[in-house]
Amino acid sequence: MSDYDIINTRAVRVDASDKVRGLALYVDDMKMPGMLYGALLQSPLAHAEIVGIDTSAALRLPGVKAVVTSKDAGLVKFGVSPARYDETVFCHDRVRHVGDNIAAVAAIDLDTAMEAVSLIKVEYRELPAVFTVEEAMAEGAPVLHEAYPRNVTAQVHDEFGDVEAAFAQCDLIKTGSLVNKRQDAAFIEPQGCIASFDFSGNLILYSSTQVPHYLQRIVAMVLGLPVGKVRVIKPYVGGGFGPKAATNHMELAACLLSMKSGKPVKMNFDRRQVFMHGRSRHQFFHTMTTGVKKDGTIMALKHECYLNGGAYSSFGIATVYYAGSLLGGPYKLPAMKYDGYRVFTNLPACGAQRGHGGVIARACWEQQLDMIADELGMDPIELRLKNMMTAGDMTCNYLDMSSLGMKECVEAVRDRSGWESKKGKLPPGKGIGMSCGFFVSGAGYPIYRSDTYHGTVIIKLTEDGGTALVYTASAEIGQGSDTAFAMIAAEAIGIPMECVRLESGDTDFGMDLGAYSSRQTLMTGLATKEAGEDIKRQVLEVLSEELHVPVEDMDIKKGLVVFKKETPDISGLRTRYIKEHRGWTDNPSLEEPLSFKEASRMAFLARGSIVGTGKYKPPVLGGGHKGAAVGTSPAYGCSAQVVELSVDEGTGKINIEKMTDAHDCGLAINRTSVESQMIGSLSMGLGEALYEEVKFDDKGRVLNDDLAEYKIPRALDMPDVDPVIIESNEPNGPFGAKEVGEGAIMPAIPAILNAVYDAIGVRVFELPLKPERVYMAIKEYKLKKEKER
Amino acid sequence: MKKLIRVTVNDVRYEVAVKPNQTLVDMIRYDLGLTGTKNGCGEGDCGACTVILDGTPVNSCLVLAMQADGRTITTIEGVEGEKGLHPLQKAFIEKGAVQCGFCTPGMVLSAKSVLDENPAPSEEEIREGISGNLCRCTGYLQIIDAVKSVGK
Amino acid sequence: MSLPEFDFHAPGSVDEACRMLAEYGPKAKIFAGGTDLMLDMRRRRILPENVISIPGIEELKTLDLSSGMLKIGSCVTIARIVKSKEVAGKWGALCAGGKALGSCLVRNLATVGGNIASARPAADLPPPLMVYGASLVLKKTSAERVVSIDHFFTGTGATVMAPDEILTEIRLSEPPPHSGAGYLNLGIRNACDINILNVASYVALDGPGGAIKDARIVMGCVAPTHVRVLSAENLLLGEKPSEALFERAGEAAMNAATPRGSAYSRASAEYKKDMVKELTVRTLGMALREALGPAS
Repeated sequence: MSDYDIINTRAVRVDASDKVRGLALYVDDMKMPGMLYGALLQSPLAHAEIVGIDTSAALRLPGVKAVVTSKDAGLVKFGVSPARYDETVFCHDRVRHVGDNIAAVAAIDLDTAMEAVSLIKVEYRELPAVFTVEEAMAEGAPVLHEAYPRNVTAQVHDEFGDVEAAFAQCDLIKTGSLVNKRQDAAFIEPQGCIASFDFSGNLILYSSTQVPHYLQRIVAMVLGLPVGKVRVIKPYVGGGFGPKAATNHMELAACLLSMKSGKPVKMNFDRRQVFMHGRSRHQFFHTMTTGVKKDGTIMALKHECYLNGGAYSSFGIATVYYAGSLLGGPYKLPAMKYDGYRVFTNLPACGAQRGHGGVIARACWEQQLDMIADELGMDPIELRLKNMMTAGDMTCNYLDMSSLGMKECVEAVRDRSGWESKKGKLPPGKGIGMSCGFFVSGAGYPIYRSDTYHGTVIIKLTEDGGTALVYTASAEIGQGSDTAFAMIAAEAIGIPMECVRLESGDTDFGMDLGAYSSRQTLMTGLATKEAGEDIKRQVLEVLSEELHVPVEDMDIKKGLVVFKKETPDISGLRTRYIKEHRGWTDNPSLEEPLSFKEASRMAFLARGSIVGTGKYKPPVLGGGHKGAAVGTSPAYGCSAQVVELSVDEGTGKINIEKMTDAHDCGLAINRTSVESQMIGSLSMGLGEALYEEVKFDDKGRVLNDDLAEYKIPRALDMPDVDPVIIESNEPNGPFGAKEVGEGAIMPAIPAILNAVYDAIGVRVFELPLKPERVYMAIKEYKLKKEKER
Repeated sequence: MKKLIRVTVNDVRYEVAVKPNQTLVDMIRYDLGLTGTKNGCGEGDCGACTVILDGTPVNSCLVLAMQADGRTITTIEGVEGEKGLHPLQKAFIEKGAVQCGFCTPGMVLSAKSVLDENPAPSEEEIREGISGNLCRCTGYLQIIDAVKSVGK
Repeated sequence: MSLPEFDFHAPGSVDEACRMLAEYGPKAKIFAGGTDLMLDMRRRRILPENVISIPGIEELKTLDLSSGMLKIGSCVTIARIVKSKEVAGKWGALCAGGKALGSCLVRNLATVGGNIASARPAADLPPPLMVYGASLVLKKTSAERVVSIDHFFTGTGATVMAPDEILTEIRLSEPPPHSGAGYLNLGIRNACDINILNVASYVALDGPGGAIKDARIVMGCVAPTHVRVLSAENLLLGEKPSEALFERAGEAAMNAATPRGSAYSRASAEYKKDMVKELTVRTLGMALREALGPAS
């Protein structure tokens, strides 16, 4: 089926056995001698001036070792994008949301730390707060950050092509909207960290993070330490999905407390604090106008979006760009106008979550395309196929579709779901719907402007020649990247997986931007491949010197040296190897082919440590317009999905019965992992479509800050899924590979929206589709119909 | 006031001094050092802290350590036998049922309880039996597959 | 977040538990399954000085059918109710209530007594227990009394229990021939959810194919306590069951429901009212099917 020995198979994950045995260590499983426990003091108010902070009682409590406030932390601003650094470790003059950070305590145990926190007295002067986009943008509304009048933290105004001119040529112009609710990533492991500062001035921060590199930089910048003195180590991480892709205040507080106390300090969020920290999916208010010709040709899209961003910028500037730019594909769209506004409110900040910025935009548009198909009397699949881009196309906003198996995805889900025998033919209450989606395979640019490599990888052969040690600073957070890179390294060198040992998630291992924007498979993957090829080259060079065979006439495959022409006499080399291993019972016999192990031992003897290196940075991408960087990527993954469901019209309750999903991931490095990402994405999409919303009271406090009332799917909610892998061979990816982790969520919500319409004949423009919302939509529709009669 | 309790965990008998307000999960993790049992929500919603208590899977965050006095507990560390991994653990590995792994210990214990009660569970019984364990990564299907493959 | 500080007691008998309750007074709290209490303590909603743990008391864990009556010890877990063939056979709606409660893990800890005594308007067991006419045994050091569950709840989290009383047993008489009951709950997800609404209905027929001689309808989540809908029940009495009749009963239940809807509640008042009707009609249908027996 494939020419590869390792990749493109269903290799077992390298971390699975530790994980099923309960041996995998997450940060809260770790303990250090003398370790203290930290706790945060967080604001109970949504918006207030800090008049005074009195920590004296806390300091007097026995067992308390350090108390820190903004006086200790300083006021260096940080955040995600340097253009919008607007947070300090601790607030000094003002709190802007419930949960904003004021102080931290380290003590001999958590109970003492918590008690000390309760003893810190803060005097507040409460300020009027704004919680909605309308409130925040109203004339005279309180402003959260003075530099941003009307609380608009970022705005985008882009036009590609001439939208009005295109509308003039259209036969049908449709306007519609969609709004979601703020969501939560609901990873099962709350954020946690241990900071350990030693007397040589070295700081080690163990953290449940997706981005060791960015965390290292921010810690160094905020605390005034040389980057080289800060080492971030990511142990196993219990899921991230976006919110762990930025530095949090607890990490910085733990570092400060450790520096002040001279002891290691552990801190954890509890589930309540996970919600108060937020940084998950924004609430988006999309309005879109799409123009098409009678034959279904899409001509133009005019799009406006408001994002309720919470109290700080976080990823928001990127989010508001993504919300527009990711609609450039996968359909041929000659003209697109986008106006986006991200707005500050006195709620926890929103950030990035799986499918960053694009998920609700995609849902809005894909529902609108279905409505257009309906009005034109076209099958929704026909409409989509008619407008589909193919590999080599460039979107109107300069996104290069270097590979695009979109058509194949659509055909796969159409055929495998039995679409043609079901669409429009199901009994009332049952529905079928479809959607497409696409996503970046890594951001074209790092978060801070730089020519930095996005990833570097080092592979070192053990001196016996038997094992390749792979070192990468990339972040395994559950998605399976360690396994993918071990596979890529093994494939590139030509050795079995068992001969590879991989360490990751440590800033000492090199440069890697981390796990976000679905970048690692492509970017870290390319660096790993290059490092593996470097190893192979070095080993073959030594062999060439020893055997007088040109390098290009040799290869390494399955752990053996392959001579493409005639096999030279290896007996001298082998005799030397065996002599070195007197007494060993596994020495090769003279007839056996030359092994990689022997060859790399020879390489070590000739050259010392054999170290291969690899690196990757994308070429210059995108157009010249402002914000062109957001949405650019060396490659784009894409997917299509068909959902079958039933709606209980008496209660409005939706039951998802079947999902058929196809995703083009270029080439699947690990087929099982690709399917895992697809099914996991669908599950998250299902939750966001049907259940998920973070609710606040009128004081800005999260009402459902637990996993009982913030509802994610359970095992009984997940339908049968038929995952289909489409492999388009991406020229810019390692062995043709590209993303799957985020793109796969894109079609889930709109496919459900479209299937609901098919089932009940009513369109719903607000998420989540909880029973009440669907029931009320049906009720209103019936009343309207009665009146019409 | 701490009180000494006796508890058998994974066939090992322990005497542990625990505080009245200490939860079973904290005792297992911090006093016994068995960190395979995870703490995900502290409120009985996620199931990451699942242990088998006198033959029944429970959220150990909802049990007080003192209530475990005289009782028998199996944690994830006690699932594998002398001959190696439990068939369920092998199946989880083979079927791709593990991603971030944070829910995995609890999930394995719930699945084990399903199979201990009924060696040939239906898919519905499997789904029901693991419905107290939240997983945000996998979408559950590969976990269900793994349990099915071990059932008869 | 850790738990507040308290003293822990594990009495070996009901008598000992009663003595402790009497001794420690109102600042003591009974720990049955703990699935609610642990959350309340963690969130500092309840701060007991003494926690009296009763799930280890053997006499509270009996499930007894020997007297023709179902006697459920208050510390019988929900899981045992769900798995009991006897309960499923005669008190199917109770079994359904149990299945609707929490996740399988929670059901292994949560107790029948706890689900009643915590007096939460969204609780799953009270509606079926009320339609089956359950009575509750309350004990204290000096006395024992039996009260009808109909008169047990006085408000959200409030009951007729005195601070020194313990709920020890739940008694259900065997439903008469030609009777049946149904329970439905509505949540956002397919299972393991907190109820938006729940309804139980019960009908007893005057012989096969006969008129309705007894009816009970109980709804949850529409008031501070679970409520019986007498207007709807009365409308059914003496009538031959029919879809139209059940529809009218549903309307009556809907009109009787006065849910409080706010931006923060799980659903609007309008939706809850409509669902009262829907679930009443559906549970009455379930009750009738059971009353008519498998032949129907």
